[in-house]
Amino acid sequence: MTKLNFDFRNKLDAMLDGDRLNYCYQCGACVGDCPAAKYSEEFNPRVILLKALFGMEDELIADDSPIWLCTNCYTCFERCPQDVRPIEVIIALKNITVDQEKNPVEISKIVESVRKTGRTVTYTPLVDKRRQELGLGKIEPISDAVKEIEIITKGL
Amino acid sequence: MKYIPFFGCMISMKYPQFEASVRKTMPNIGVELVDVKGFTCCPDPIYFKAEDKIEWLTIAGRNICLAEEAGYDIITMCSGCTATLSEANHILKENPDVRNEINKRLSKINKKFEGSISVRHIVTVIRDDIGIDKVKESVINPLEDLKVAIHYGCHLLKPSRIMQVDDPDHPTILEDLVSAIGATPLEHEERLLCCGKACMSEEIPPKMVYDVLSSIEKIKADCMGLICPTCFDEYDIGQIRVGRKFNKKFNIPIIYYFQLLGIAQGFKPEEMGLHRHKVKADYLFKEDVKV
Repeated sequence: MTKLNFDFRNKLDAMLDGDRLNYCYQCGACVGDCPAAKYSEEFNPRVILLKALFGMEDELIADDSPIWLCTNCYTCFERCPQDVRPIEVIIALKNITVDQEKNPVEISKIVESVRKTGRTVTYTPLVDKRRQELGLGKIEPISDAVKEIEIITKGL
Repeated sequence: MKYIPFFGCMISMKYPQFEASVRKTMPNIGVELVDVKGFTCCPDPIYFKAEDKIEWLTIAGRNICLAEEAGYDIITMCSGCTATLSEANHILKENPDVRNEINKRLSKINKKFEGSISVRHIVTVIRDDIGIDKVKESVINPLEDLKVAIHYGCHLLKPSRIMQVDDPDHPTILEDLVSAIGATPLEHEERLLCCGKACMSEEIPPKMVYDVLSSIEKIKADCMGLICPTCFDEYDIGQIRVGRKFNKKFNIPIIYYFQLLGIAQGFKPEEMGLHRHKVKADYLFKEDVKV
């Protein structure tokens, strides 16, 4: 039998700019126009919020958790009559998953690229060639900016 | 009027033709771009925000500080950059606790978030500051007979309280801009569907792309017009991938709005980089261009 885990719910509340999650009354307005729910039976934002309210950490925090199917479209943010902002709950769940190092590897690849190079797209000389064809200047080197990023994000 | 352009990683490096289209067309409607050095990735609103929200806000805050120091509003051309920078600017202005926390970090590089500028998507600036009439006046080669299926994507519009661009369920801003260059905007059933890029599944996004492209095929549009490089990725090269997967050839050219504007202002398809698209698009304009 699943036990309620209020510690987990409280942890989520603390990440969510007030205790918005607790105002979810399971109406399902977040489901109707959710593209991921339309295309997959695995993903249902109402069920994810219910599990979050119950504190079902093991089901939600895992690399195969349904939270990773969210398309990040923000339609649930628009629809929720209680201003729960389901997508922000899902993102907080993702943050916890990353803290526990249980996230899909793709996430950290993009983040590492930004930390190391300041950008998500890898620079190659071809980039400048394409830019010059169009009359654009070369890509600006940003190694100083990358150092600054390191300073302000260190020890987070 | 002066603005600071924030082109972001995808437009400046992967799709520089979009940057070229903005840089070439904006002077013709009175938008002066003031470049600021030292911007990094916005950073990415999906993966980075999922990894660490405070770090995400810190890096976004640094980018906004650079624009504050230069003293003009930021205009964004990519829906991802729009999402990150608009939301970060909103949070840092509205939430003093978070602002103090981020400013503590920024103080290590002698920066401080002041909350003195706005972050705005370029289409909003054109509608609200410049006026759509200016776009009409800049047209020397109206794209008559061109039927454009508009695709909004998600982050231009939502969350609407933060983005403040248009009604997220009944937007008209892109239709108005397409009409202004003489083309005909067409609505299609799936015009507000997400492109699916952020969904971490091998099955779901291709089905979404397939449905959007089918919806456009049904109304017999000449092309899809959009404003987001991530959506472009999904529908241009993605169209070939999805075509293979479902054994169907769509052949729907995907065009960034400012490339269309450029053609309407008399630029050649090559100057707008249309020949670089995976689904050929330049043939649509071969006869139109005035020499």
